[in-house]
Amino acid sequence: MRKILKVLLVVVVVALIVIQFIQPEKNEGGIETNHLLKQEQVPAEVSAILTNACLDCHSDQTNYLWYHQVAPVSFFINNHIHEGKSELNLSDWGTMDILDKIGTMEDIAKEVEEGEMPLKSYTLIHPKARLSEQERKTLIDWAESMSERLLTGE
Amino acid sequence: MKKLNLSLGLLLIALSFAFTSSASEKEEPNEKTIQMSEEVKAVVKNSCFGCHNTDSRNDDAKKDLDFKTWHELSTVKQLGALKDIKEVLTKNEMPPEKFLEHKPDKALSDDQKELLIVWVKEQSKSLLSQ
Repeated sequence: MRKILKVLLVVVVVALIVIQFIQPEKNEGGIETNHLLKQEQVPAEVSAILTNACLDCHSDQTNYLWYHQVAPVSFFINNHIHEGKSELNLSDWGTMDILDKIGTMEDIAKEVEEGEMPLKSYTLIHPKARLSEQERKTLIDWAESMSERLLTGE
Repeated sequence: MKKLNLSLGLLLIALSFAFTSSASEKEEPNEKTIQMSEEVKAVVKNSCFGCHNTDSRNDDAKKDLDFKTWHELSTVKQLGALKDIKEVLTKNEMPPEKFLEHKPDKALSDDQKELLIVWVKEQSKSLLSQ
């Protein structure tokens, strides 16, 4: 019994070391011209909320902490980022047509209001992403006013 | 036949302004709420309306989209809803697989999906230019 446990332990440790060599590509594209924050005049408060609670998964720039680079955590993070960006990538704001922009703002308002976003698994590890009621309201109000402005052509 | 349809259509629209609430049949998407060709209406009635209407037992579905109360939505909310409709169709998320398992006749063909997506684009453009 003890021997099996020892072998198992060695296997797990070796596996953990081996998977460190599988490094998913890092999401560090920076904040470029088409990014929402470069394209629009976003109030400082909203910008802070977006940066702390959204942009890690919903832009080309993720702010990694050291343990994000340890496998298998790195795999989960990479998966989240990949999925997040495919749903919404605010680095592409400048390339979106007006209908997409309006729809995006509406989606943001809806997801935040319903508590679907930010993801619980994200807020668990990122205290700054835990939005207060007031912060949620600020974000929702901003998103809704953005979509109205886009519709009426400012 | 075309003239008759046009007259009927105009009459219906006129009537819909006269009455604030209409006792519409459970299955039919209310004509005044949304602009749909007969073709689109038929597809929606078959594959979508069952869950996405006020009287549906599916709470999640009607919260996400209710064709009956569509007219109550603001323009931006309608645009948001249209974008979502296009997305779930493109990603083959609707109608849901579990639903189609016992109601395979409600599945959307590629042509029907295309029809709906074109409708979404036209509706969106028209809302934008209003």
